[in-house]
Amino acid sequence: MAYARRFLVDQRELSKQERGVLQKLIAAAELVAPLYEKQKNQEYPGANFYPFNATKQEIEKAAKKNPDILSPYTFVERKGKKLVAVPYSKKFNKELTQIAKILKEAAALSTDKKLKAYLAARARDLLQDNFDKSNTLWLETGQSKIGCVIGPFDRYHDKLFFQKRLYTSYVGILDKKRTEEIDKFRQAILVGEKRHLPGAKQAKIPRMKVRVGHTAILSGFAADFLFVSDNLPSSADLYLIKKKGTISTIFYPLLQWRFSTWIWPIYNVIFSSDLQRRFSQEDIEDAFLRISAFSEITRSVMRYDDAAPRLQELFPYFDEIYADVLTIKAASLLYLKGTLTEKELQAILVAEICQGFYYLGCLDKWPHLQTNAVGYALLLDFLLRGNALEKQEGRFTFNFQKAFIAVDELSNVLEYYLSIGSRKDAEEFLGKFKAKEVLEKFAPQLNEILLHQQKQTNSV
Amino acid sequence: MSTTIVNFQKFYVTKEGLVKVQKEWERLREFKHRKTMGETPSLLHSEEANPEYLSFQEDMTLLEARLVEYENILSNIELIRPPGKEGRDMVHLGAMVTLDMEGTIEEFMIVGTIEADPMQKKISNESPIGKALLGARVGDTVVPNTSMVSHRCKVLKISYHEK
Repeated sequence: MAYARRFLVDQRELSKQERGVLQKLIAAAELVAPLYEKQKNQEYPGANFYPFNATKQEIEKAAKKNPDILSPYTFVERKGKKLVAVPYSKKFNKELTQIAKILKEAAALSTDKKLKAYLAARARDLLQDNFDKSNTLWLETGQSKIGCVIGPFDRYHDKLFFQKRLYTSYVGILDKKRTEEIDKFRQAILVGEKRHLPGAKQAKIPRMKVRVGHTAILSGFAADFLFVSDNLPSSADLYLIKKKGTISTIFYPLLQWRFSTWIWPIYNVIFSSDLQRRFSQEDIEDAFLRISAFSEITRSVMRYDDAAPRLQELFPYFDEIYADVLTIKAASLLYLKGTLTEKELQAILVAEICQGFYYLGCLDKWPHLQTNAVGYALLLDFLLRGNALEKQEGRFTFNFQKAFIAVDELSNVLEYYLSIGSRKDAEEFLGKFKAKEVLEKFAPQLNEILLHQQKQTNSV
Repeated sequence: MSTTIVNFQKFYVTKEGLVKVQKEWERLREFKHRKTMGETPSLLHSEEANPEYLSFQEDMTLLEARLVEYENILSNIELIRPPGKEGRDMVHLGAMVTLDMEGTIEEFMIVGTIEADPMQKKISNESPIGKALLGARVGDTVVPNTSMVSHRCKVLKISYHEK
């Protein structure tokens, strides 16, 4: 199935009963894939949330009379001349009832009180199109051995209003040791209080946790976008995050896959041999785990109340890369305080560059990752223009000092748009930025990466 | 045979830190005592080296090294004391410092390396920020001297715990 990905997980530390719970949750997650497929498939009536021939203005006008039109959990359909809102729970009633039934069975089997309460609440919420109760209970399950997220949460396919939610699911087993390691960094990153630009409406987040998980299945949105981490409540539910906080889950097997398939080969293709000698595979792999975790941590603390409604569909172009830029900045502060060594900090920058090439490299294959690709194109462009990245015989050398200056500059630009910039300004800025021209500057390296990918695929 | 390199640098600790180091040394010593009081695996198993013995020896070597390390720390320890009245407007070891780090306000204590724990807001005097701050006064802006990151830190407040 295209929108469900299974991973082998070591279940030896689970009791027989816990394995039973895990199997049920995997079965429930598998049922999410067809829902996501229907949300995405152009041929399905109601796919992409709005009728194909409805204009943005027409939808806005209809929403004034019927606010459900812009509800996160409805499809908009044309009935005669009118636009009507059909709730997800109605449209997918049969499928959601089946998923809810399995969740209830898993809840009945579980002896983990917090997980039990959460699963039972999630089963109810799936049929009510409101997830606040179960999302609140999810936040209590931070230490549970088994983790399961299921429901409609992210908004990436709503290209008109950045409102409608996509069905997603991930199920996995907590990696306690790695979670504890990352938690130390979380505490060190989350100290201090940042001053904001005058007029910025900063959202204060009371708490955030990171779970590193041995993922057993990704389904729906999570399987399609292949992000190595995700947070719930998602940024779409900022009001709830502000009240209760959020949990980020890192999909460790996916992170390992991306590292071995993309990041490490990219490192070996784009950088000069001098730079390559400086870091081992382990150095870059550790750095890759850190940037994945740090970006989730920094993302949770730098939220603005009005950023998404103000920037609408342009919001993710700024938001995604801002988390990565803040990751580099957070790492540089950890270095200054003696938590990271100079080499570890350098490896973090290198891993971010490789991640940038990953998003640019897979853009043709996965065009839905465009927002991330544009963001990283911005970062690479700032690094190039700041002379932090320099070409030598077709490969890049790196000036770390100049890189931090370039990152600071980009950070200020992104902070402006996310905190106070108008949608018009943001549109103008993105309009002036020619991502394609940046791609051309990196074309030889990107071609080499893609050729390497091709060879790997052929040899499997 | 393993060699433990002992150096003679000073280890600066707060009173709290000293108690922790002493407790850890006592715990390790007690642990070693208990290990050696028990039945020691025999060297040979049939005609080959007994794996249990090898593992026991390995554990003991590590334990010995840790004990020597702690004994070295304890014999070179220097207690951090708050400065007299005239020195309190300056950052010394043990100072609680509030900084404006380019827009982020942070507070932490400057401690010696063995007590450093940025998660607990304790920064080593040998970290780039720690080094730069020693000797600074309220209102000073310091820039840690590193080849990579340039960050301006303005000292907003300095205080010392009395205990």
